[in-house]
Amino acid sequence: MMRNDPIKHVFIWPAVLVVLAISIFPLIYSLTTSFLSYRLIPPIPPRVVWLGNYATLLQEPRFWNAIFTTTLIAFIAVGLQYAIGFGVALALNARVPGERLFRVALLLPMLLAPVAVALVARMMFNPTMGPLNQLLSKFGLVNLPFLTNGHWALACIIAVEVWQWTPFVILMMLAGLQTLPEDVYEAAELENASAWQQFWGITFPMLLPISAAIVFIRLIESYKIMDTVFVMTGGGPGVDTETLTLFAYQEGFKKFNLGYTSALSFLFLIAITIIGVTYLALLRPHLEKRR
Amino acid sequence: MAHVEIENVSKAYGPYKIIEGLDLKVADEEFVVLVGPSGCGKTTTLRMIAGLEAVTGGTIRIGNRDVTQLRPGLRNCAMVFQNYALYPHMTVSENIGYGMKVRGESRASIEKAVNEVARVLDLEQYLQRRPKQLSGGQRQRVAIGRAIVRSPDVFLFDEPLSNLDAKLRIEMRTEIKALHRRLAKTIVYVTHDQVEAMTMADRVVVMNKGRIEQAADPITIYEKPSNLFVAGFMGAPSMNFIDGEIIARDGALTFTAPSGTALRVPRSREAAYAASVGKAVVLGVRPDHVLRQGAPEGSSVRLLVKDVEPLGPHTLVIGTVAGFAFTAQMPVGVAAEPDQVIDVALDLERTHMFDKTSGMAIS
Repeated sequence: MMRNDPIKHVFIWPAVLVVLAISIFPLIYSLTTSFLSYRLIPPIPPRVVWLGNYATLLQEPRFWNAIFTTTLIAFIAVGLQYAIGFGVALALNARVPGERLFRVALLLPMLLAPVAVALVARMMFNPTMGPLNQLLSKFGLVNLPFLTNGHWALACIIAVEVWQWTPFVILMMLAGLQTLPEDVYEAAELENASAWQQFWGITFPMLLPISAAIVFIRLIESYKIMDTVFVMTGGGPGVDTETLTLFAYQEGFKKFNLGYTSALSFLFLIAITIIGVTYLALLRPHLEKRR
Repeated sequence: MAHVEIENVSKAYGPYKIIEGLDLKVADEEFVVLVGPSGCGKTTTLRMIAGLEAVTGGTIRIGNRDVTQLRPGLRNCAMVFQNYALYPHMTVSENIGYGMKVRGESRASIEKAVNEVARVLDLEQYLQRRPKQLSGGQRQRVAIGRAIVRSPDVFLFDEPLSNLDAKLRIEMRTEIKALHRRLAKTIVYVTHDQVEAMTMADRVVVMNKGRIEQAADPITIYEKPSNLFVAGFMGAPSMNFIDGEIIARDGALTFTAPSGTALRVPRSREAAYAASVGKAVVLGVRPDHVLRQGAPEGSSVRLLVKDVEPLGPHTLVIGTVAGFAFTAQMPVGVAAEPDQVIDVALDLERTHMFDKTSGMAIS
């Protein structure tokens, strides 16, 4: 086929139009909206405020609180997911008896819908009727304010996140571990390197590229956390567990403050981009060594 | 003193016995090559010496030290692997120095040792590269460097040259031999390539089905193979075998084979072969055991030519004698065409005779 064959337009344009319609157009539309004062309730005609929404947001303590909460959940949860997931993957890779059963059992949480997991968790952690507090009562211990105290609620959300997404890390790390060559370990064995030295000298550095990818994926995903928090605490008590997505949801679909919400979404996008770029920049020198 | 003694060692994977009752002594500073077809147990033997494979029974000693139950790191063996087994994320210098780093030696002494090894192996300009940025031969040298930097008691080589091209293989062969002379250490070397075995070893150990068929210096292995397996395995092109019988006729012994093949047994061999008269035997003739001129009577076979391979210094004539495959190494320009029958005179003083039932050499 010739380079200038007009038929190429028939193939390219439908795809371009679809992408424009479902992705670029909404993006531009919401960017425009973010410069407007646009409320549905009460229905006031849109008015251009330029960066007004952004300025208000940046002075809004609730916004900063949401950023802090989201960052806290994302970093602690992903850190735990990585550490626990790597550990379990190492154990599974060591061919323990019944390893297959463990492998399937440990992957199950990942397959569940987050909403379902959050519903179960809400019941488990229920301060008055939940089995956890009942168990504590049985042993004569003080009942804990799992979802009614800000700190405890955050911890519960993190615990659920870790429980649900560690399997993803296990799966990826196990796949990585299985690609490592055996003779390299035999060489290290002959050098009398201990298991600990083999881990830090060989396993960890050789899995650094895949680790970087996994942590990146999980970090970005964790910033978008919505369903777990929505179902478990609804952002409460107060706004103690309110994440960015939840804040956007409250503003957009409870108050129908569309201009403000759009600005919030864009700030969110900028925040995630900054985190992603910083993360990759920090890791680049380490990853490039391994090319 | 770092001799290696393998005593009655056996190895089984579940019900499958790989090695049974293996005995081998490698003297201090000796270069021993284990050679054999794939699956003969040579690599398993090497890995048992290294401790990477547990023995099922028997004892392994290195320099009077019973190492049978010791883990690999405590045996003071260094191994060079077939696929190099370099640490891909480390530079050449980190690869060579890793063992010393693991043992907690000072940075200065590591650097000194690495530089010394790099100088010996001509790796100085590659010290900051990673294995991926090196050629096969360079990687192999790094692997050897990693082995020699710690001055072990025993060097173990597991088919180290099999991933290199033919020219490089010959170069590395010479380098490893030179290294052995300089380091004066015990080396156990595994290969399936009989040319490598012949050219490098002080002593060749030919293995088959988990047993040692023969262990001797290369020339003895070539000239006095103890059985049919060794005779057929060592030497390229391999030895020709003709099944037949020894009969006594007119006060002399004659080897007879189908389609009228009859070869007079030399006087010098008659005493040795006398006991085999009337028994089924196998005559072994190396392709170069061919007389160019002055063939005495009763020393020729009729070769039905199938193919002629001119190699430069000589020509291989491939065909059958008495229905058995036969290759003869003939002078350049020999008059032979496919489907032609030619007379080939054999140097009967140098041929071998084996008992067909036991496979053992008759001598």
